Formats: sequence, C-alpha cells, structure tokens
Amino acid sequence: MSNILQFIVDETRQILLQKGETVTDITLETEFLTDLPMDSLDLATLIVSLEMHTGLDPFRSGFKTFYNVGQLVELYESIEN
Amino acid sequence: MPLMKHVIVSGGSKGLGLGIVKSLLQNGYHVSTCSRTKTNAMTELEDIYSCFQWFPCQIGDAQQTADFVKSACEWAQDVPLWAVINNAGVAKEGVLASFPNLESDDLLQVNLNGALYLAREVLRVFLRQNSAGRIVNISSIIGTRGYTGLAAYSASKAGLDGLTRALARENGRRNITVNSIAPGYLDTEMSSTLSDNKRQQIIRRTPMHRLGSVDDITPAVTFLLSDGAAFITGQTITIDGGITN
Repeated sequence: MSNILQFIVDETRQILLQKGETVTDITLETEFLTDLPMDSLDLATLIVSLEMHTGLDPFRSGFKTFYNVGQLVELYESIEN
Repeated sequence: MPLMKHVIVSGGSKGLGLGIVKSLLQNGYHVSTCSRTKTNAMTELEDIYSCFQWFPCQIGDAQQTADFVKSACEWAQDVPLWAVINNAGVAKEGVLASFPNLESDDLLQVNLNGALYLAREVLRVFLRQNSAGRIVNISSIIGTRGYTGLAAYSASKAGLDGLTRALARENGRRNITVNSIAPGYLDTEMSSTLSDNKRQQIIRRTPMHRLGSVDDITPAVTFLLSDGAAFITGQTITIDGGITN
C-alpha cells in the first residue's frame, strides 16, 4: 500500500471515528460521499490533513473531480512524480 | 489571566480594527493582527501585551493571507485559534460612471475577496483543530442601504453579508458561527472625508443624533465571541444609532 493511500485510509477512519462512526473496509473503489458516512466538511478536513502531510495541494490550480479513494490517491501521486 | 483563545483581526492597526484589538486584549484574548504597514499603536500594544502580535500582510493577496494565518498560529503556539474578525477594508468615493475600474477592482479585492481568503484559511485551521470557532465580518449599513458615490463599497459590504449567510449554513454543523456586524456612520479616519454638510445631514437623520464611535461597536464583537452567542449564526447585527430604522 502506498504512503498516500495508507494516510488517506487512516485519516478517513480517524475523521469518521470522531463522528462516532466505525468503518472497517476502505478500498481504492470506496466512494467518499456515497459509501462512507462522510459529508463535504469531512472531505475538506481530509484534504487539509493531506496538504499538511504531503505539502502538496493538487487543487491549487482549480477544481479536480474525484469520487473514490483511488482517484484521490492518483491526484497526489501525479503531483509527487 | 489571559484566555486560552487566539483571535485574528484583519486591519487592526487603526480605526475600528484598532478598537477591536484593544477591546479583545482587555477581555483577555490572545490577539494577532495584520496591516500593510506597522503603526505606532501596534508597537505600543506589543510592548504592553505579550499576548499581542502584529504581522505585515496585504489583505486581498491570497498567498500573503495564507502566510499570515500560518505565522499567527505559529506565534500563538498552543493557544488554539478561536475566531477571526474580518475587519480590513478600504473606502473610495466617486460616482460609478466616472469611477475607474482599477479602483473598484482594488476595493473589491480587499473588502470582499480579502475577507473570503482569510475566512478560508481560518476555516482550514478550525478543521485541523477539529474545533468550534467564530467568524465575524465587519460589513456596513451601506451594504443594505447604499450611498451615493459608494457603489463599489456598497457592493463589497453586501457581498460580505452574503458570505456570512453562506458560511453560517456551510459550517454550522461544526459549531462554527459566522455573523456580520453592520456599523452605521462612525467617527473614524474612514469617515473623515465626509463633507461637513453630509456629516450634519447624517447626524440629523440619526435618532441618536450623533455619529457612532468605535466603542459603540466593540461590545458586539466581544459578545459574538462569547459563550452566550453560541447559537447565533448567519445574522447581521446593525449598530447605527437607528438611522436605518
């Protein structure tokens, strides 16, 4: 599992735990807003945490569409490489 | 005993912003503020209060705003960010038909985009902290009532009230409240350009028969930051001596 993927999975679990939600299964295909009990502010929290962790902001140049974990991982890995 | 709460005030080096900074310090908050240039008042307050810090920042510049919030939070160390007062603003007068686009662009960049950029950075801190928080936008009665020669200013302040209502809806579930304070005509540097005729006209039309002072506004700011205001959000509090009544 890549570092980014591991961070996204751990951070997502942490954000949900703070809401009193426990999620066991998060895969590359998991969609944030439909498969998980997340709302848009939870997703914003994840993005802020990712920026702090990686120092990268793939959204600096504008909106980027992503729905699932794999697509978010790809956004960060495409900047890193 | 200082409160363990950090408040950021934009444009706190003079006028209403300076009054807000002083009032928050007197109420025990840790306060950081910014402006383009450092005034003597900022140096004096830094000498008196260890829980106060000034930073240079051009509000309206997104990168400078991000850097300012980062530096201010680093300065505050383990005192969590509790609130931002979006106070920085400029006023430029002239009928729109002859008002240079460059001037209205600059005004909107500071008064509206500047507040939006600062709110964005502060909201990101609140999310990181997983904390409640307060945002207070200093708008103006000019935003709702308009004033001849202040079209761009009026638009910027009306925009601020819209920003307040939208952010209140967006962030309420995180216990982050967002409110506007709309002062009437204040006796500050910003109103010093009013002609004596206009000034007297405003005073005549104001039920309280005077211009407002900074001290008329600051208690509302401290109230909105208090526990008693936890359920107030998306509102505009008008403080104008009754002129818009």
